[in-house]
Amino acid sequence: MNDQILGASCIATGAYLAWTAVDYSILAAVEPVGPGTFPALLGGLLVGGGLWLVLRPCPLPPPGAQAPPWPPVAATMSAVLAYALLFEWLGFVLATALMALAVGLAFSGPWKRVLAGGAVLAGLLYLLFDRLLGVRLPPGLLSLVLTGPGG
Amino acid sequence: MNTLQHLAAGFAIVVAPLNLLAATLGTLLGTLVGTLPGLSPTQGVAILLPLTLALKLPPETVLILLAVLYLGCQLGGRLSASLDPRPRGTAGTPPAIWRGLAGLPLSISVWPSFAAALVATLGIALLAPPLARWAQGFGPADSFALASLVFAGAIGLAGDAPLKAAVAATLGLALSTVGLDASSGVHRFTGHQAYLSDGVPLLVVVVGVLSVSEIPLMLERRLEHRSASGAAVSGLYQLLVARSAILRAPVRGFLVDVGPGPRLAGAADALEPSGPRDAPAREAARTLSAAGAFVPVLSLGVPGSAAMAVMVGALALHHIAAGPALFTEHPELAWSLIAALFVAPLPLLLCAHLPLLGAFAGLQRTPRWLLAPGLVAVGAVVVYSVHAAWFDLLLMAVIGLGSYLLRKQGVPMAPLILGFVLGHTMEQHLRHALSLSGGKLAVFWVSPTSKSLWLVAAALLTLPPLLRHWGSQTRGAGSAAPR
Repeated sequence: MNDQILGASCIATGAYLAWTAVDYSILAAVEPVGPGTFPALLGGLLVGGGLWLVLRPCPLPPPGAQAPPWPPVAATMSAVLAYALLFEWLGFVLATALMALAVGLAFSGPWKRVLAGGAVLAGLLYLLFDRLLGVRLPPGLLSLVLTGPGG
Repeated sequence: MNTLQHLAAGFAIVVAPLNLLAATLGTLLGTLVGTLPGLSPTQGVAILLPLTLALKLPPETVLILLAVLYLGCQLGGRLSASLDPRPRGTAGTPPAIWRGLAGLPLSISVWPSFAAALVATLGIALLAPPLARWAQGFGPADSFALASLVFAGAIGLAGDAPLKAAVAATLGLALSTVGLDASSGVHRFTGHQAYLSDGVPLLVVVVGVLSVSEIPLMLERRLEHRSASGAAVSGLYQLLVARSAILRAPVRGFLVDVGPGPRLAGAADALEPSGPRDAPAREAARTLSAAGAFVPVLSLGVPGSAAMAVMVGALALHHIAAGPALFTEHPELAWSLIAALFVAPLPLLLCAHLPLLGAFAGLQRTPRWLLAPGLVAVGAVVVYSVHAAWFDLLLMAVIGLGSYLLRKQGVPMAPLILGFVLGHTMEQHLRHALSLSGGKLAVFWVSPTSKSLWLVAAALLTLPPLLRHWGSQTRGAGSAAPR
């Protein structure tokens, strides 16, 4: 069953690629191969591969295969998404500490140690990359503390 | 200059104090990062890449650093695999290997690697320049055929899921078309986002595909109660017993990886000797295949594996173009890399007998609840170091989620990274060839070079499934016979 879902997603993605790519070739009438040719070719390949996946006999799931633990997986992925969105506003240190707390709890770590570990991780990475290696990381809400009133 | 003089010049560059320091620290750092559980060499290189960018080193130092980081990550990964005899989730007293014997397997694994590095350097020094000379005569159609050959290898050697590998490669190629098309000025698949005009940055794809998607998989693995994999403690005795195997295995390991076909799971393992008696030989074979992977990168500019694809991208970030021109335009770079591959195991030999081993063991025991957010945070720093844009982080998270779902369906990720790295040049070659020929497809079947490349590609696509089919048939006949 899973292969059919994968195949259907491939067909949808491929169709989108090919459909959009045709427009690109009309937009820029460069001959003989425009900007749309390669994506259209890839879209065609994806549709073909997707059809093959959908139509071929469905292989049996391997013995012992079980559904993933959805609640912690969903929690982890949401934490990563939220981390990306809040990274600049909260700043690296706060966002990382919060993300480490959420992910650490999803990994069922003891909460006190997860909290402390996340804070230390965030602080150490900030010192290492921002202060030592010159990769500029957003100070965010802590800008007054981290960079001083001038910065 | 002949090969020996070039090699001597390469060594002269490597033994410069800065480069020697970079080689030593890079090997140690690579080994440390590689030892972290759940980190592949590809991820290791990607994580350490911003470091090489931040330090603003000269190009030859960068090349040496990247190469030794990769080899160090490789060794570290194998160490963590061989040194972790504990089942996950069980607390208690560590087995004997942790209490004092840990030095033994490490030192054992380093000696054959060192011997293998000698053979590899020789192989690269002999093979890479003639290959590069051959590749210099390539037209766009030949280059397109060569890139297709890489994908044929990735798909044909993908074990039981060639179709899924093909899907992954196509997705990677499609991802590479995102952004402003330079020759027509058309924005492709950007969704009117200015952030995407330059395309998806390599580091975003690597971190998303390899690091972020690894987190939920780690979560699943942690919840499964894995059975203990009894790790054999190697001894000097084994090294002596396996002497002959050490000599045989590396040659095979090297040959597997010299071809531009990617070294995917199964291909190299099938050729490796198995059993604890052969452990040192296995080490040697792996070092050689790791070093051998540099041949297609150096000479043809074509990566053979996901890790090498990241390496090509890393060199591009440093404005170094891998490929045949490297040998003619920057011979000192190419040859210093070859010399660095030779020198890389030396620091490892050194640290195998130092108390530093405690650090390796400590890293190995990093709890998952700290390691997982650590991976995400370091990945985010890596991605943020490119453009300092939160949009890249969002892209990283979305790509990570997508590749997690793909990996759950058994889609391999190495072809996707290959596709992403090769996509741009492949499309350029296709368009260049077709515009030269006035749109006639026959241009891809004109030169003897492209003809032979296509034939090899076809063989790579069709032979592995056929061989597997025949193999299963003969096995079936053999088991049926006694009845």
